[in-house]
Amino acid sequence: MTETALRAASSASSAGSTSKPASTRNSGGQRERSRGMNGFLNVLQRTWLILVVFAVWWFASASSTNIFIPALEDILASLQRDLGNGVIASGASYSLTNLGVGLLLAVVAGIVGGLILGETKWLREIVDPVIHFFRSVPQAALVPLIIGAFGIGQGPKIYTIAFACMWPVLLNTIDGVLSVEPTIRKFSKVYRIPPGLHFRRVVLPAALPQIVAGIRVALPIGITVMVVSELFAANKGLGYYILNSSATFQVPETWAGALLVGVIGYILSVLFIVVERRILGWYFKSGAK
Amino acid sequence: MKTSTRALDASLAGQRIAAVAVLLAVWQVVIWSGTLPSMTPGVPAIVTAIGSAFTSALFWASLAQTMSAAVSGWLIAVAVGTVLGLVIGSIRMLDRSTSILIDFGRSFPVLALMPVVIMLLGATARMEITVVALSCLWPVLVQTIYGARRMDASVVDTARTFQIPRLLWFRRILLPSATPFISTGIRISASIAILVAVGVEVLSQTPGIGRQITLSQQEQRWDQAFAYLFFAGLVGWGIATLLTLIEGRLLRWNRQTHD
Repeated sequence: MTETALRAASSASSAGSTSKPASTRNSGGQRERSRGMNGFLNVLQRTWLILVVFAVWWFASASSTNIFIPALEDILASLQRDLGNGVIASGASYSLTNLGVGLLLAVVAGIVGGLILGETKWLREIVDPVIHFFRSVPQAALVPLIIGAFGIGQGPKIYTIAFACMWPVLLNTIDGVLSVEPTIRKFSKVYRIPPGLHFRRVVLPAALPQIVAGIRVALPIGITVMVVSELFAANKGLGYYILNSSATFQVPETWAGALLVGVIGYILSVLFIVVERRILGWYFKSGAK
Repeated sequence: MKTSTRALDASLAGQRIAAVAVLLAVWQVVIWSGTLPSMTPGVPAIVTAIGSAFTSALFWASLAQTMSAAVSGWLIAVAVGTVLGLVIGSIRMLDRSTSILIDFGRSFPVLALMPVVIMLLGATARMEITVVALSCLWPVLVQTIYGARRMDASVVDTARTFQIPRLLWFRRILLPSATPFISTGIRISASIAILVAVGVEVLSQTPGIGRQITLSQQEQRWDQAFAYLFFAGLVGWGIATLLTLIEGRLLRWNRQTHD
């Protein structure tokens, strides 16, 4: 059910937004022809609105008298300053380490659990309600409990991210395992492929597109939990930078931090799509979408 | 155990209950073993707290506050997202121009904006609704655009050939073909609404379930915090299940093409 959305999301963001089917969009011939003037118009068409939004914000906020809405110029100036003196760099490396380690734990646990549950029907049916319950627990609500119990260090934040990100990976892995073609399954059985090989070379590749889709869902969840865990209680990180500057009424810094987290979220999701295209190149080429 | 021939459903339900019991037992054993910090409550304490939450007026009031903020924000997002999405998705020029902006908005962790939004609006229900609406907007918008964009070429040609009036085209061609996608967006954003509402309350002084979790934790009432967490999960789960049911029923006509 969620898959529709995921596919929609991926093709909407990666393949651009023409109303043509994907095949014509990717054809080399069209790309050749659209060089030069057309290419320029294309870029212009895709970017003019961003420039307009930026300009409107810039000029509308320039004369702002509300101290909570600083001029965009001031926001960017403080962003540039803190990027230059390493304040943001150290915070970002702390936050992104938490995100990376948490996500990695979630992916490993989700794939292993998903492979096991996908292959064992009785176990899957028994724990199904439990999984759906845990998935529905609001991730942000875990933050006070885990941080309250284990302290404000790095470990508890990583656990919270891992816990929150695990469920989409797990559920998608189960779906992926279930979508392995019965014929292929039978072949594997008939030829008595050993279980290790069967998992590694038959089930895992077949489930990979779904698993990657699950990780794509988990990524924004992880970013949100990362920020929330630091906004709640921390002494380091991007969330701490935002919280600290808001507590000390450094309004431009607060805005700068919040916008920076947004930009990082955007960059990570674009990077993810690039990596996905590479890993799943065979899958997209096969036209399975 | 797995080959119970009669009353398979009853046996499955029994096994599920057994699985939950095993999980709770493991929890209790871990507590007794002392590997978790000492404040973590045991199963009996949590069960008692869940029971007393049921009879507490504060619990029902916080639940109502969370739900009303979540639902208001969600409804705003659905209205704005559907209208915007249909317009953007059916005009190709707009679609291309907005794509980067929408991608950016979609991947923006809105909860990171909390300190800014609190500065602007204060820790009020209005602030909570704004943050919820901002978070729920994107799935609805993206799905609607996708639905409006993805129209059968032959249908488009037929409509053009017969010079179908704009309004009729909108109502009888665009809307039906986009509905399955819109409804998926609406369903996804409903789950997000609860998550974000609770998140906002955890991080700010806005009243509701999330606020109660933070307060209970600060007062060292861990049993109560876990009870509220349990209810938060239950509500999220109930809403997801309900909306899947409704969607399945409303869109039965579309099942053969959708998925």
